[in-house]
Amino acid sequence: MAEDLYSVLGVPKTASAGDITKAYRKLAKKLHPDLNPGDKAAGEKFKKITAAYDILGDAEKRGRYDRGEIDASGQERPQQHYYREYAGGQDGARYRSTAGFEDIGAFSDLFGDLFGERGGTREGGRGGARFSMRGPDAQYRLEVDLLNAVNGTKTRITLPDGGTLDVAIPAGVTDGQVLRLKGKGGPGIGEGEPGDALIEISVRPHPVFKREGDDIIVEVPITFDEAVLGGKVEVPTIGGRVFATVPPGSNTGQTLRLKGRGITTKSGTGDQLVKLSVVLPERIDDDLKGFAETWREAHRYDPRRKLRERA
Amino acid sequence: MLSERDLVARVQRLTVTRLRVWVKQGLIKPAEETAQSFSEADLARATLICNLEDQLGFSEEDVPVLLNLIDQIHGLRSELMSLLGVLEDLPPDVRATVKMRIESRRGRG
Repeated sequence: MAEDLYSVLGVPKTASAGDITKAYRKLAKKLHPDLNPGDKAAGEKFKKITAAYDILGDAEKRGRYDRGEIDASGQERPQQHYYREYAGGQDGARYRSTAGFEDIGAFSDLFGDLFGERGGTREGGRGGARFSMRGPDAQYRLEVDLLNAVNGTKTRITLPDGGTLDVAIPAGVTDGQVLRLKGKGGPGIGEGEPGDALIEISVRPHPVFKREGDDIIVEVPITFDEAVLGGKVEVPTIGGRVFATVPPGSNTGQTLRLKGRGITTKSGTGDQLVKLSVVLPERIDDDLKGFAETWREAHRYDPRRKLRERA
Repeated sequence: MLSERDLVARVQRLTVTRLRVWVKQGLIKPAEETAQSFSEADLARATLICNLEDQLGFSEEDVPVLLNLIDQIHGLRSELMSLLGVLEDLPPDVRATVKMRIESRRGRG
């Protein structure tokens, strides 16, 4: 049994035609789908009161309904396409007003411009799938000299596009090591993150310091008398100059180990190895010549014995 | 696309004269001004204006006011939808933050 049409409009059966119209309009103003763009329930109720009004608002049909000749469903009205069904789409875009955003620019510097200024023909917000992809990594090579690689440094590289990139080179970086700067690569697409910058380090050789693992190797010339008598000699290290003790009777090829004077990395600190090399004075004077001649008479020795045996 | 005659024929109680007044007032904007070709949206809009005036009893002066408000609502809804669409695509933790901030802003009212 369908609902009583008079109660749908909330009027008594004795209501005048004017009262019925008034009651209908009051409800319709509240429930019209185009006055409630987002409310589906309002649309259903509006359909019901409109169907009721179709019959009760028409003197002839109202008479037939009262006499029971037609039931509450009367006849179905042709399906009406409400404006709200189009307003959100492309076709309705040119009617959409941006007046509701006039003051939003003042509210948000960043987003204010986004809204209400894009003209009529753009697509609605629900548009197609967005494509997102992480940005590509950018590859760079950076040459640093050994001391900077060992002690760490900060440098700025200029990119091909004219931009710059600040790179912190960690202490102890090795030749061929790749530094990764997160997010400094190519920009992402859509919501994708930017790629990384990959910086391959190449360490320029140093004229004095050679690197071997975490150790530094330096060749240090000593005099003939320092070799024989021993003494303190000045030795360069990556941390500055230090004095190293050369024991008496040191020879070319012998190595002194300076503990903790090497490269500091996460795994610890290396040593500096000082390779001694005995160097005669550039000019051999008569004193030295005379001494060598006398000394040879009494102290012959054969440093090449092993060489002969092995060859 | 519909001609002026087609559109009038499809809306109850609509006359060519009424339609032309609305076009002149800018309430209805045919796609091509000279050829007077109308879209389905224009048809639905004309139906809405008839509804407002004939069934709901709004006066001719009321209707432009109502349409202006309705158009603003759809403009706002459309921008809100695009904003929500973008928020929907953000990573979950960012979405949660946005939600939290909105709630706290509302709380401050």
